[in-house]
Amino acid sequence: MRKLRLLTVISLLVLVIAACGTAGDEDTGGTSGGGGGNGEAEDSGMLAAVKDAGVLRVSTDPAYPPQSSVTKSGDYEGFDIDVATEIAERLGVEVEWETPSWDVITAGNWAGRWDVSVGSMTVTPERAEVLEFTPAYYFTPASVAVHEDNTSITDTEGGLDDKTIGVCGGCTYEAYLEQSLDIPGYDIDFTIDDASVKAYDTDSSAIADLELGDGTRLDAVISATPTLEGAIDKGKPIKLVGGPIYAEPLAVAIDKNSPEDPEPLAEAIGEIIEEMHSDGTLTELSMKWYGTDLTKDA
Amino acid sequence: MASLPASARRARDAFERRSERVPYRLKLGLVWLGILGVMALWFLSYGFDTEFMLEWAPYILGGVGITLFVCIASIVLATTLALFGALGRLSGNPLFNGVASFYVSFIRGTPLIVQIFFVYLAFPQLARFAPEYMSGFFLLDAIPAAILALGVNYGAYMTEIFRAGIQSVGHGQIEAAHALAMSATQTTRRIVLPQAMRVVIPPVGNEFIAMLKDSALVSFIGAADLFFRASKVGQQNFRALETLVIAAAVYWFLTSVFSFFQTRLERKMGRGYVRERSHGH
Repeated sequence: MRKLRLLTVISLLVLVIAACGTAGDEDTGGTSGGGGGNGEAEDSGMLAAVKDAGVLRVSTDPAYPPQSSVTKSGDYEGFDIDVATEIAERLGVEVEWETPSWDVITAGNWAGRWDVSVGSMTVTPERAEVLEFTPAYYFTPASVAVHEDNTSITDTEGGLDDKTIGVCGGCTYEAYLEQSLDIPGYDIDFTIDDASVKAYDTDSSAIADLELGDGTRLDAVISATPTLEGAIDKGKPIKLVGGPIYAEPLAVAIDKNSPEDPEPLAEAIGEIIEEMHSDGTLTELSMKWYGTDLTKDA
Repeated sequence: MASLPASARRARDAFERRSERVPYRLKLGLVWLGILGVMALWFLSYGFDTEFMLEWAPYILGGVGITLFVCIASIVLATTLALFGALGRLSGNPLFNGVASFYVSFIRGTPLIVQIFFVYLAFPQLARFAPEYMSGFFLLDAIPAAILALGVNYGAYMTEIFRAGIQSVGHGQIEAAHALAMSATQTTRRIVLPQAMRVVIPPVGNEFIAMLKDSALVSFIGAADLFFRASKVGQQNFRALETLVIAAAVYWFLTSVFSFFQTRLERKMGRGYVRERSHGH
């Protein structure tokens, strides 16, 4: 009898947890925000959906200070976080965060799990096939860093040929080293030949490997200049080499394959970004997080 | 033997005599403490930042709830699947048997991480071809997707455990049930399953403990579990050693707690059989 009771307990547990599971799904479905707000008659597609939900769901990778990082209380902070929060505020909705890995974000086909990426994403033609981009909200120069003990690599023109270089997988730096990077409206000069590319889950893992020693696992890392400078500020034994190798326009992205038409939301956010450029909000946030104004195209 | 001087031999004998008085478990504990002490000293000498760890521990520990929730929900799903899977594997019906054996073979033959990504990334693509009311199933958030993948994966392994458990029930028991005019369903429910449970429960506990660790894979689809939090905090502050040590310690603590209960459960489940064995001594 005892063992029969155990069976009953197990099946009851199945029921209870199944019930919890569905309840949980509804919560995270994002349709529960009661904001409602100023649903104007002309809103359509995803813009209408976001305003109806009262929530803008933003994807972020919190491993990239000063763009995005997690705080001790579990909140997120950084330049991208502030920009996304401001966009949501100007749309009249709340903001919610999702934390998928970077290659999942750039691959598109988000299946409606989140609405936009405010993740310092470089506009490239490949990405533009699956993602709708707004005008750029700021521009970062990409730079090369080597271990501080290194004395042989002094420039990026030839000095890095045949070296082992670490980058984040799916980032533009990887395409740059493969000499396939194309940013519309920008001339890119490929000065590094035959590098052996090591792709990491995120830039900071590459920097951590470079930290191990000059040539131990990596000879150099390519990343955004602010990311590298942030690492140097945290005492990492690395140094920048040469000047910036190319500038990247960074924009908000929306999945083209969204269940609802992404166009109206992209336009609305594009207008908000233009506004934030002209009223100085972006400059102010750039000064706050980077200590310099990165919002003007170099 | 003669090579040892008498005084040294005496000292050794005295040491052994004294050593015998110290309980064996105490000695074991001292060895453990010694290893932990050496590890702690080693880490500390490498600039191990304990202040940083204390500051971030609350955030990282916040992931324990998600880890446990995913594991408990998954083990319940796995148990249900395994029960039906085992009945299918033992069934004479080619349809049931075929479905169950395909399930076990396919799932055990593919990596868990592939299955997790399949549920999270590939299912939504299938949703386009599915009817509207099904789309919720194909489009799962990170945590439900993780539970589905882990549950289905462990269900396949546990199918074999359940099958072995059911087969361990003596044939005479089933014949006796038939003699009492019980139907096949009644026999399964009242005779076979309750006895099979005794054999099955301990390995299911083991599976749960294994799942506690495998659940760290869900961090790859962005569920903020224990490992996800530890690795993100480590990456953004370039302090992987500290945060991974926290994660490892917590996983170890959790598995130790469950192992403790597991051992007690095993002892309890096997108590009807222990005395028989001890007669022989």
